[in-house]
Amino acid sequence: MITLTIDGQQIQAEEGQTILEVCRKNSIEIPTLCYHPVLEPYGACRMCTVEVIRKGGSSLQAACTHPAWDGLEIKTNSPPVTEARRVIAGLLLSRTPNVPVIQELALKYGVKEPPYPVKNPDEKCILCGQCVRVCNDMVKAHVINFANSGVERVVGPPFMEKTRECIGCGACTIVCPTGAIEIVLEQAAIYDAKPLGPTASIYVPSLQAVPRVPVIDTDTCIRFRQQDRTNGEIADACGACQMVCEAGAIDFNQKDEIVELDVGTVIVATGFEMWDPTKLSQYSYGKSPNIITGLEFERLSNAAGITGGQIVLADGRKPERVAIIHCVGSRDHNAHEYCSRICCMYSLKQAHLVKDKTGAEVYEFYMDMRAFGKGYEEFYERVQEEGVTMVRGRGAEVDVLENGKLRVKGEDANLGRLVTADVDMVVLSTAIQAPQDASKVASLFGLGRTPDGFFAEAHPKLRPVETNTDGVFLAGTAQGPKDVPDTVAHAGAAASMALALLSKGEVTISPTTAIVDDKLCSACKTCIALCPYTAISFLEDKNVAYINEALCKGCGTCVAACPAQAITARHFTEEQIIAQIEGLFRVPDFLKAEGVPA
Amino acid sequence: MAQQYRADLLVSCVHDRPPEVVTALENEIKQRGLDQEIRVVTAGCRGFCAVGPVILMQPDDIFYVNVQAADVPELVEETLVKGRVVERLTYKDPATRKFIHHYSDIPSQRKQMRVALRHCGLINPESIDEYIAVGGYEALSKAFTMKPEAIIEEIKTSGLRGRGGAGFPTGRKWESARKAEGDVKYIIANGDEGDPNCFMDRALMEGDPLAILEGMTIGAYAVGAHEGYVYLPYEYTLAVKTLKNAIQQAREYGLLGKNILGSGFEFDIQLRMGARSFVGGESTAIMHAIEGKPSEPRAKHVHTTDKGLWDRPSCLNNVKTWSIVSEIVLRGGKWFAGIGTKTSTGTQVFSLAGKINTTGLVEVPMGTTVRQLVFDVGGGLPKKRKFKAIQIGGPSGGVLPDSLLDMPMDYETLAEAGSMMGTGGVVIMDDRTCVVDIARYFLEFLTDESCGKCTTCREGVRRMLEIMTRITQGQGKLADLDTLETLARVVHSVSLCGLGKTAANPVLSTLRYFRPEYEKHIVDQYCPAGVCKKITSFQIVVDKCPGCGLCIKACPEGAITGEKKQPHVIDQTKCLRCGACFDACNLGAIITTSRAEMEKEVVA
Repeated sequence: MITLTIDGQQIQAEEGQTILEVCRKNSIEIPTLCYHPVLEPYGACRMCTVEVIRKGGSSLQAACTHPAWDGLEIKTNSPPVTEARRVIAGLLLSRTPNVPVIQELALKYGVKEPPYPVKNPDEKCILCGQCVRVCNDMVKAHVINFANSGVERVVGPPFMEKTRECIGCGACTIVCPTGAIEIVLEQAAIYDAKPLGPTASIYVPSLQAVPRVPVIDTDTCIRFRQQDRTNGEIADACGACQMVCEAGAIDFNQKDEIVELDVGTVIVATGFEMWDPTKLSQYSYGKSPNIITGLEFERLSNAAGITGGQIVLADGRKPERVAIIHCVGSRDHNAHEYCSRICCMYSLKQAHLVKDKTGAEVYEFYMDMRAFGKGYEEFYERVQEEGVTMVRGRGAEVDVLENGKLRVKGEDANLGRLVTADVDMVVLSTAIQAPQDASKVASLFGLGRTPDGFFAEAHPKLRPVETNTDGVFLAGTAQGPKDVPDTVAHAGAAASMALALLSKGEVTISPTTAIVDDKLCSACKTCIALCPYTAISFLEDKNVAYINEALCKGCGTCVAACPAQAITARHFTEEQIIAQIEGLFRVPDFLKAEGVPA
Repeated sequence: MAQQYRADLLVSCVHDRPPEVVTALENEIKQRGLDQEIRVVTAGCRGFCAVGPVILMQPDDIFYVNVQAADVPELVEETLVKGRVVERLTYKDPATRKFIHHYSDIPSQRKQMRVALRHCGLINPESIDEYIAVGGYEALSKAFTMKPEAIIEEIKTSGLRGRGGAGFPTGRKWESARKAEGDVKYIIANGDEGDPNCFMDRALMEGDPLAILEGMTIGAYAVGAHEGYVYLPYEYTLAVKTLKNAIQQAREYGLLGKNILGSGFEFDIQLRMGARSFVGGESTAIMHAIEGKPSEPRAKHVHTTDKGLWDRPSCLNNVKTWSIVSEIVLRGGKWFAGIGTKTSTGTQVFSLAGKINTTGLVEVPMGTTVRQLVFDVGGGLPKKRKFKAIQIGGPSGGVLPDSLLDMPMDYETLAEAGSMMGTGGVVIMDDRTCVVDIARYFLEFLTDESCGKCTTCREGVRRMLEIMTRITQGQGKLADLDTLETLARVVHSVSLCGLGKTAANPVLSTLRYFRPEYEKHIVDQYCPAGVCKKITSFQIVVDKCPGCGLCIKACPEGAITGEKKQPHVIDQTKCLRCGACFDACNLGAIITTSRAEMEKEVVA
């Protein structure tokens, strides 16, 4: 620890810091323009000038580069310091007269007007070099640097020409204190790629995320992008987050890993995915940025989203008329025949949000309003009272007009006539469907699937969370469309079923299983493919089929199929069945005595 | 046995021009069959810029100046064959106007003391044998018998201070470099002089490259470094060539590389070239340049002796400092400390330019007064013009008035007076020099040469230049002087590097010593020196004009008319304000006046 005197105040500080760092830590204000906490101090703008008294001599020094030595006396607002800052602010204001940051700074030191002739009123760059340092030292893209010297000095790419080396990361625009650098869309491909994705490369997935910690988006993170782009040659780009994280919690080497666990039960809660509305071209999804899906609307309206929760059109304007079309892909013979169950209610909620946030006119095109849950009907009424126009009838078509407006056509079944509405934004309440890879999951766990593609429960009424595989349960929309309360209830049931099984500690299995007679098995493997419970495997060493009795349900499929008749079902052997049949048809002795004919 | 010659012709000033004189000499000597007796040597700079090319004939010590190829036959015939001196080619002393035959009799030479430039012009810089013959590498062999600490102690005793300009004590620098932690340390020689009119580093690198290399090797041994760099401008093509050759020869002789002189010590030197620039000579800028980065300075709160080149301990000195080192090791620190003043020991190389008879390089003991430098060594001002001011220390040095003629020139006194030692660039000004204009000129130079990194230097110097330009054009306001002073003060105290800090010197010093001249420009719209054209008129004083016609001949525009023996008249509408008439008139009949007043009179 060292001790400094700053403005007459004794201050303890750790060794190895600069004067500026010590001042900032102790909330002593020092203006800076070329300083950035994650960049190497540069000492170019000289705004942070302070008076340093050492060994009896006093001098003006840049606080950002001067080390904080033990025993230094520092004055941050003595007359020479204020004079220097006033002169510097005046010089900068004369260079960039219309940059608000500089104007404010100059005003703070009493400079209202540029004291010297202004050469270029549009000049914004103060040559602080933050962009140069971030591009070279952090991003390691080496795209921008200084060119020329003295008053001719400028910042730019080599020979001021467009360069492919720019990765469009935007780091330079972020650090630029005066807003002198703009990213034009052409170079901002990375932002285009994820229009509704995270706004920064480090983000908390959602406010409700568990655990609620930030994650790194490796697609936009400068470090990972540079690693990918250069095949690992630049492996240490940026790292700004690591520098500022005082907890040291950032580890770039963390990787996705596959964990193998031995478990007693499995709950399949693989959820759903959104149906792709481009499959029904009449809705023109993708033809206008203002035709969005319900999920995209959620992102737009989220306070942590790209617009900070503002509901706006692609060009930033507020919408004046919004149409919400229900059952896009649901209850439709051309898509899914089932009802997705959640769309009615979220559409009503979105209508309410649009009304509340923008005051726009809202049209809901619906077939039937399925407000079946607790309090749902009341909410439906409330939304109606808020002035949302309900049009009963499927929204049939959306056209993109030349002026960018959207024309929604549909039938008002109540009035019995066709209607159109010209709106600014269309929200498609798209269906939810079983994930693409549901079949893989099904075969992994031996699950059945219903015609709608979701996993089949053991019994639709009596065993809604169990499956035909013992110990495997279903939860939530993996089983079929559900809203949040239903999902929670379903998942709770699955969890308790699983726990009931686990708490027993052992499972009771039926003694009725099939066994293979090794001597008869001809190793044709017919049975293996047929077993619905994946209970049969092949023993390579013995060259015979083997039935895991813990998995076998004794269904008998393999017994019937085995061409060598090598498999028998315990308690259901042929002899036993024939004996039973025979027994069934045998005339009891007491009847024989009475002379009943056989 | 090496070839023996009866005479050596040491030809200087022929490096950057076509080698006509040398070729003519060689041809002539060969034709006469003297080539086995007489040798022509292309030697380094002797500092006689005003009268080059010069030839020193040894062992007779005959010195010829302004030698052209056409003079060669006569020179060879008379001197080498008949043994007579060609008087018209000898040096004419500007003070006595007499011809001086022998080099050692030239007054300006006798008043000099050559330490840094001791071999320049005396040996062939391309030959290591000649360097060794005049005592080269004696110091290094002596150094190897000493402990590194003892060498540093010797340098400290000598009081040697960095000859690059800042004057940091060399011994202390070496000591902290030696004590700095780290296995790898660097020795750097700075040959990147960016001052206009300054060429002493160049003269040294071209004329005596091995002295630099020897000094660096001693320094490396003292601080414990094994790698060295010489940084110099690419534009110095000859210096690059001589240094390359010198390094090559030193390696061949085992004076660089592994096990130097059998001592077991290893050291090698590489050349690094950059574009010549003013700020590029700053030590951290050089290190950046060697690292392959733009040559811009950085803050030096942590000394480069701890964290320099590639963040490793580095000992950087000017090439002149390195050249002096071996002489100190050889002759002892006390000997060097005996020269000069108490705090500024030894000698300093100055390059004399401007209104002075003997322009060129001179080396004099520290503490020599301005008067001695200008009048004794420099031979005074041409045409006996009045001394008005002297600027010392390159473009960012201060301009000092005639009242300080008897001031001794050492680091402290110069700094106190508002100037600096700098690299030793000296510009002498007479009464035909306007100090406002000269300060403006230097600001123009500094504006061009600023690297542009820090706000105060980049923007501040340019704004000072704008104000100064306004003043020289007669558009100044008295308030400008305060603005200038504040601006200069802030640029001086806040700028990042030494060059930025001193960029305000021309303004601060001229404001300090010549404020009335500024006020004349602003209030009276009058430039006493007749330099600032926008506010100057030349006028002929009728009473003094004898009608000799000299001014009529001098005028390039034909603006002066008048009969012989009748007072002449200047046509103000034609006059360019070039001042040619003013300079031509021997009787002081032409005076400068305020242009505004003159025009008023004309109208009246």
